[in-house]
Amino acid sequence: MSGNEMQFSDVISRRGFNKSLRGGLFSIALASLLQRDSRANESAWSPPDGLPHFAPKAKSVIWLFMNGGVSQVESFDPKPMLNKYSGKTIAETPFASVQDPKKLAIERLVVPDANGNQRNKIYPLQSGYKKYGQSGIELSDFFPHTGSQADKIAFVRSMWTTDSNHGAQTQFHSGRHQNDGDFPTLGAWVHYGLGSLNENLPQFISMGYREYWNLKDGHYLGPAHDAVPMRIDPKNPLDFGRPEGPITQAEQKAGLDLVQKLNRVRGRSYPADAALSARMASYELAYRMQMSVPEVVDFSRETAETKALYGMDRPESKDFGMQLLAARRLVERGVRFIQIQHGGGGAGSWDAHGGLKANHARNAQAVDQPCAGLIADLDRRGMLDSTIVVFATEFGRTPGTQGSDGRDHHIFGFSVWMAGGGIKGGTVHGATDELGFHAVENRHYVTDIHATILHQLGLDSRRLELPTRKRLEIDHGNVIREIIA
Amino acid sequence: MFQQPATRNFWISKIWLLAILSGYCHAAKADVDYIRDIKPILKSRCYACHGALTQKAGLRLDTVAMMHRGGDSGDVIQKSDSLLIERVTTKEKEDHMPPEGEGSPLSPVEVDKLRQWINAGASGPADEKPEPGVKDHWAFAPVHRPEIPQIRGNWPINNPIDAFLAKDFQARGLKPNDRADRLTLLRRLHFDMTGLPPTPDDIQRVSDMAGEKWLEEEVTRLLNSPRHGERWARHWMDIWRYSDWWGLGAEHRNSQKFIWHWRDWIVESLNADRPYDEMVRLQLAADELKPNDLGDLRATGYLARNYFLFNRNQWLDETVEHVSKSFLGITTNCAKCHDHKFDPIKQTDYYAMRAIFEPYMVRNEILPGQINAANDGIPRAYDARPDEPTYRYIRGSEANPDKSAVIAPGVPTFISGKNLELRPVQLPAEARHPGLRPHILDGLRKYQLLKQAEARAGLQKAVKQWQEASMAVIAGKPAKQDGPSPEKLALEKLLARVQAEKALQLADMEIPGIEARARADRAIVDNKEQSESVVKAAIEAERRVALAQAELKLATAELALVQGKAGKGGDLATARDKAQAEVNEARGKLGDTSGRHTRLVGAEHIPTKFLTSTAFDPFPGFPEKTTGRRMALANWITDRANPLPARVAVNHIWARHFGQPLVPTMFDFGRKGTPPENLELLDWLASELVASGWSMKHVHRLIVSSAAWQRQSSLAGRENEIARDPDNRYFWRWPGMRLESQAVRDSILALSGRLDFKMGGPPIPAGEQEKSVRRSLYFFHSNNDRNSFLTAFDEAMVKECYRREQSIVPQQALALSNSRLVFESAPALVAKIEAGMSDQKDSSAFIRRSFELLLGFVPSNEEIQLAREALGEFQNKAPSGKADETTARGRLVWALLNHNDFVTLR
Repeated sequence: MSGNEMQFSDVISRRGFNKSLRGGLFSIALASLLQRDSRANESAWSPPDGLPHFAPKAKSVIWLFMNGGVSQVESFDPKPMLNKYSGKTIAETPFASVQDPKKLAIERLVVPDANGNQRNKIYPLQSGYKKYGQSGIELSDFFPHTGSQADKIAFVRSMWTTDSNHGAQTQFHSGRHQNDGDFPTLGAWVHYGLGSLNENLPQFISMGYREYWNLKDGHYLGPAHDAVPMRIDPKNPLDFGRPEGPITQAEQKAGLDLVQKLNRVRGRSYPADAALSARMASYELAYRMQMSVPEVVDFSRETAETKALYGMDRPESKDFGMQLLAARRLVERGVRFIQIQHGGGGAGSWDAHGGLKANHARNAQAVDQPCAGLIADLDRRGMLDSTIVVFATEFGRTPGTQGSDGRDHHIFGFSVWMAGGGIKGGTVHGATDELGFHAVENRHYVTDIHATILHQLGLDSRRLELPTRKRLEIDHGNVIREIIA
Repeated sequence: MFQQPATRNFWISKIWLLAILSGYCHAAKADVDYIRDIKPILKSRCYACHGALTQKAGLRLDTVAMMHRGGDSGDVIQKSDSLLIERVTTKEKEDHMPPEGEGSPLSPVEVDKLRQWINAGASGPADEKPEPGVKDHWAFAPVHRPEIPQIRGNWPINNPIDAFLAKDFQARGLKPNDRADRLTLLRRLHFDMTGLPPTPDDIQRVSDMAGEKWLEEEVTRLLNSPRHGERWARHWMDIWRYSDWWGLGAEHRNSQKFIWHWRDWIVESLNADRPYDEMVRLQLAADELKPNDLGDLRATGYLARNYFLFNRNQWLDETVEHVSKSFLGITTNCAKCHDHKFDPIKQTDYYAMRAIFEPYMVRNEILPGQINAANDGIPRAYDARPDEPTYRYIRGSEANPDKSAVIAPGVPTFISGKNLELRPVQLPAEARHPGLRPHILDGLRKYQLLKQAEARAGLQKAVKQWQEASMAVIAGKPAKQDGPSPEKLALEKLLARVQAEKALQLADMEIPGIEARARADRAIVDNKEQSESVVKAAIEAERRVALAQAELKLATAELALVQGKAGKGGDLATARDKAQAEVNEARGKLGDTSGRHTRLVGAEHIPTKFLTSTAFDPFPGFPEKTTGRRMALANWITDRANPLPARVAVNHIWARHFGQPLVPTMFDFGRKGTPPENLELLDWLASELVASGWSMKHVHRLIVSSAAWQRQSSLAGRENEIARDPDNRYFWRWPGMRLESQAVRDSILALSGRLDFKMGGPPIPAGEQEKSVRRSLYFFHSNNDRNSFLTAFDEAMVKECYRREQSIVPQQALALSNSRLVFESAPALVAKIEAGMSDQKDSSAFIRRSFELLLGFVPSNEEIQLAREALGEFQNKAPSGKADETTARGRLVWALLNHNDFVTLR
């Protein structure tokens, strides 16, 4: 071993790292760890080493998020009572107590507005519903394809949150209300806590549309833990993902070879320079990334059958289908966390204040087939066991009508689902009351979903906490053990 | 199950980890050690209420002796009957520790450890010291100018900084690095002081100088360069949370549209070396301290930036948190929901701080040359709601204010032993009636003169057209095909001429009207008794303007009627009749001088939507007095008795010269923070800052003149030092750092000679940034809009950025190797490098020069050889077959911009 290497490994052993982890991305992690470490103020604390805290069940997450708020009663929690009491005020039904102000006190407003109010007149279901699969789970007719996969899915029908406006989008990602400030999102925590599975690809990728108040992830963990935005465009999938000037691949290769050689020479004058090693590794990685990423979104070698499975053969579901197929390909190649947000425009395309029937029919057509296709495809490739698929939304919608044909924001009870990665399929967990108003059984705040995912990935959020950033109990959430296989 | 090889490693690693963990657990069971296993639990879970800070129930748990002594209920760690164990395990809610809301219960493992320790006799070290008290905490103690150690060593002592550091070297057996070479230092110095690399001329000039005098001269030159203010402004903008405005689409929700005036104030102030304490005071309270100084009112952009359209709590929470963190280095935000766990900051202290800011809102001051604040204006703070009460929110919940008591403005007095000296300030007339500012009248007059000239030209044109049309009638010309008859046309032109006459009449009235109003505004302020006639004159002038307006409207309605053009409001005749009625009414009011005149508008309140998102809250008005609360706070912060601000400031300055602070927890100097290794050095610098009249340039000069700052960064041959001080806590070397995002981009432009040195002004919008060659400081930078090139290099986060990250991620490699910026700069760079060469064909000379300019070092023969080979390869690999030398040189320069040392300061 040269003196240079000895010092380097000195540093490594001082930090208690396994030697076998050296090289590649580890160096990059090391450089940022050294930086972070110098800020730590408690000797007991050390930054994450990239390893899970306990045996993981899953290794990747595909996080699907519906912007604007999906109606629970027209998706995964149909409520026949809405048909029975259609047109009546809530006070006229036997369930008048749902509007007890004490039960409504969880709401936290950024500002009172025209939306987010109580809607009193019961609005009947805008879709039929029926039982699916061997588990016989009742789902709305808007989601027949999801229904076909019901036996692989755990539906959580008892979610609640506190922001009755679209700050709830951020809240579902970070666990904190907008009034409290900005906090790292789940993907950032996973990225912060776990090492890389593939050195050629970014480990945290986002696709789709994010609202302006929800653009970033790392926050106090640092911008290095922001998701890398990706586009379904083989020619230009990443920012700076290809040369923006005239240069051939051969020239580029020659130039980067020169840089690495020169860096190596420079390293003799600056031995044990972790930043230099990290930069050299980052160039190798960047080059491979530039070569690898276009391939991920190049679907030419996928069969027509697969494309159809993802709904790519129909215009209404093509865009989302392509993103989900890309997600599968990313997971296949070892990407940790893929966040896909569906539905831009206004405050999110699911935000059906009016015309709910047409709105949800259109949006469901865009996502239902792709979601079901993703689960089926992961399953047949043997990847579902190690991949968690989450279908979430910012909040539900009111049982009462807004205007003549819409539903307003509703934070007191709504539905999400999870599949794969050790989640128990064919499960319904939690319940709302007869009107789909309040979550009444096994109530879950949004961070319970985070806790469940982290648990499946083998992470303990308390061990990731920074000494300078005390988190609240509710930030950590509770694992939903009932939906774990 | 998993196919990828990477996952196999993953499982192996996991097994490895489990093995270690289980081994650890086994060891722990056998033997519980107080210092290792027990004290950390008590410290993190119990000390906040049972330690030096607070002694609830008279109990302290920070030494074994004190646990035995116990509190109101006696010994808590008796072997068979431990109250401590009872209280952390009881099911009784009222008795359980930690109490509900003060932390989660201890885990079974933790309880088990405690029990084992107590059962084994609860032993601890004999010489155990209690937790230091608040008074003993280093940061809360007064800054005493420490004596400069008289030290001799085998290394240079340039100034007291080196003397203080030398003490640690001697004590710890460290030998500092040698001085860096001239070229390395020159590059380090230029980036440090200006954020830009040295030019070829700089390198030439410095290398021609004999001796070491060059550095001092260069420091003076750079401190006087306008680039210095730009560089350090960006640092302070990180700390002070500069952000351009953002919102949903075009809706302004956060910060301010013209907040860049504050940025320009920072740049100018730093260039002028305005005292730090003055800058703090002006940012917090320029509106109370210098209410008529538009230049310095820009400073309150610091507060105007916190504006949030919808929610006052979020706005003021951010204000309290970051005033505390940025100027005082304390985390008052931890006391929003409960008393601070580490520092003696009560929850009520948090709301007392909030009460200081409760009255303030934001308005735009109309600028010279403007008639309103639509396109430009100075966003600044003012006390709009002096009587707004502040309440403590129970457990921090805005839905649950404790209305039993209004919280008075105040500060945590333990810091300096002083409280706020509150006195309301009577504002000068121009602050409460900003229309009195002379430039307002000037601006309106100029605007109306232009309108008048336009009206005059309009009338000339109308007269001419009417003459032509009437001549046509007289001459008996036929109508144009499909056109109106000459008679009708002439009638229209006549009415158009009347309209133009009325327009000019109005324009003629406007200027005397504005002037009369300005006189009345002034008269009311100067002398209330004698103002009556002047006000009457203004009212009369306004009546005349109103009549002229009505007449113009009538003329317009009549013209429309003749032309048969459909108006919005139904039929034209009705509109004409209505206009006629308005004229009659206006004429009737001509002699009526009752009521008030309309004051000139000199500032525009920035409205909020706290009550509902669907309408603006009512305008609170510009009060005659300001509460003086923020001024009192500003004075309290910058009072010499306050030990924190100077320490916090020099720590920030030091951190940006070294890439490594003296106090690692830059925004927390409290008891949870990490103390500096060398408190005397910090205190000496703090006392220098204050003694120099808070001159930051003085501190910059001190730091870069020290031997410490001038050391090499290399670790070569420093095994001893690496072993003894691996993290360089004692600054035996200059740490080396990665350039910040702005410096990376700016240096590419500067080196290629493309950088535009224009200073100040509105930010470059996102869409124009790719083509812009302005300094990155001037890019639009908000929560929403961040330049993607800068983002790759850890761009400042606008919500909080006390220290920039220095990450190394592949996105940086992609940005430097692929961005248009780099490709477009390369040819210019080649030309720039070649320009100073005596023999432009000399490839080796080109390579040497490129290394010196771009990377800041002289290449070795090996490096020159590698670069030469690459030049050849670039020529051969060119798509066109054989490329010329210039193109190949462009490729070489492109490659060198990707060299580690381009983004690194050595």
